[in-house]
Amino acid sequence: MSLSYKPVIWNKTKLIYDAVMLAGIFIYILIFLRLGPVISSALRDTDLPIQRMRAFGSLALLMLTIVLAIGPLARIDARFVPLLYNRRHFGVMTAITAATHAYYVLGWYFSFSPTPQLTALFTSNTSFTSIAGFPFELFGVFALVILAILAVTSHDFWLSFLTPPVWKAIHMSVYFAYAAVILHVALGALIDRRDLALAFLSLGGLATLCVLHLIAGRRETSADAAASKKAPEAPWVIVGDVSEIAEGRAIIGMAQGGERIAVFRSKGGLSAVSNICSHQNGPIGEGKVVIGFITCPWHGYQYRPEDGCSPPPFRERIRKYRLRLEGSSILVDPEPLPLGTKVEPLAILAELSPAAAAPKNGGTV
Amino acid sequence: MQRRHRRAHTVIWTGIAVVIPIMLIVIFASVPKLPADAPAVRLDATATQGDKQP
Repeated sequence: MSLSYKPVIWNKTKLIYDAVMLAGIFIYILIFLRLGPVISSALRDTDLPIQRMRAFGSLALLMLTIVLAIGPLARIDARFVPLLYNRRHFGVMTAITAATHAYYVLGWYFSFSPTPQLTALFTSNTSFTSIAGFPFELFGVFALVILAILAVTSHDFWLSFLTPPVWKAIHMSVYFAYAAVILHVALGALIDRRDLALAFLSLGGLATLCVLHLIAGRRETSADAAASKKAPEAPWVIVGDVSEIAEGRAIIGMAQGGERIAVFRSKGGLSAVSNICSHQNGPIGEGKVVIGFITCPWHGYQYRPEDGCSPPPFRERIRKYRLRLEGSSILVDPEPLPLGTKVEPLAILAELSPAAAAPKNGGTV
Repeated sequence: MQRRHRRAHTVIWTGIAVVIPIMLIVIFASVPKLPADAPAVRLDATATQGDKQP
């Protein structure tokens, strides 16, 4: 969270994340350039600039595949959530790596012509009517432009300026960039030479990403379809039982066709808030209460349980919901309250409290 | 994540999982192949190297 523009708010976790990422990039390039020619005769017979462009090109593809796998992996298994924390730096480094690949391509294939490099890039292959001969460079340029736009707008300033829904919609164009990269690689390197490693990286990566995203999407769709049961009196819905929530954790419910609602248990009280973090739409209900604040698992944005507002001087807010208890059942009114509405946590009756020590399912439904 | 974003993700990835493999099959199937009676043209390093420059 920040009040004013800062290029990057560094902390120890981000530094470690970036250090590991940069070390990985360095090691990959080193291995590709030093060990690659020893292992592969095809690589040994090429010039160093070509080896460099292949090293950075394949690395950009690998990084894009990894960065696109982090989201669904975190949805499928919570142990991958820490990778989400600094995913934007990963994305920016992917764009820089792809740009480095493009730089070497322009410097090698298009430098010795009297035509300007970019003009030569767009005019050297005009086989638009051919399938296998289609100018694959265009797909690479398209992907690079998208990656560059996403890298430039990745900062929280743009997230705040554009609003999270618009920002998220723009950043979903990375999927089209990925599709373009696959076509770029297939029409270019895979047709040009039999490169098993690159085929495995591109086609295997495509298959893996499709499976991961479709599994994660299926889970989300199933969760959406299994809406909370309606209580006898409208508009209340039953989101679960008090005993299902561990101290400091939440259960998630929703009305049919509505957005998800997280009900947190903390210090003998229950609070219902929107499950959507105002920062990047992260799943707040999968977070926990830290020093009295509801904390998003993605980037640590915090909100007060009583009014859904971030503690001063921060200004982020999420919606609150009315809730009540019937016996040990938790009922929520799915109609959100206006932003900033203060609703004191609903006290849990003393006879229901001992169950807190033994939640039935670890705190989520 | 908002409900409509979840739906958009599912639609996009279903599209990618269906369209891209089909496109790849079409691309690789349309790569020109040499006819069976094509002459044995040598394009390997030995044949194309030519005289070395002084």
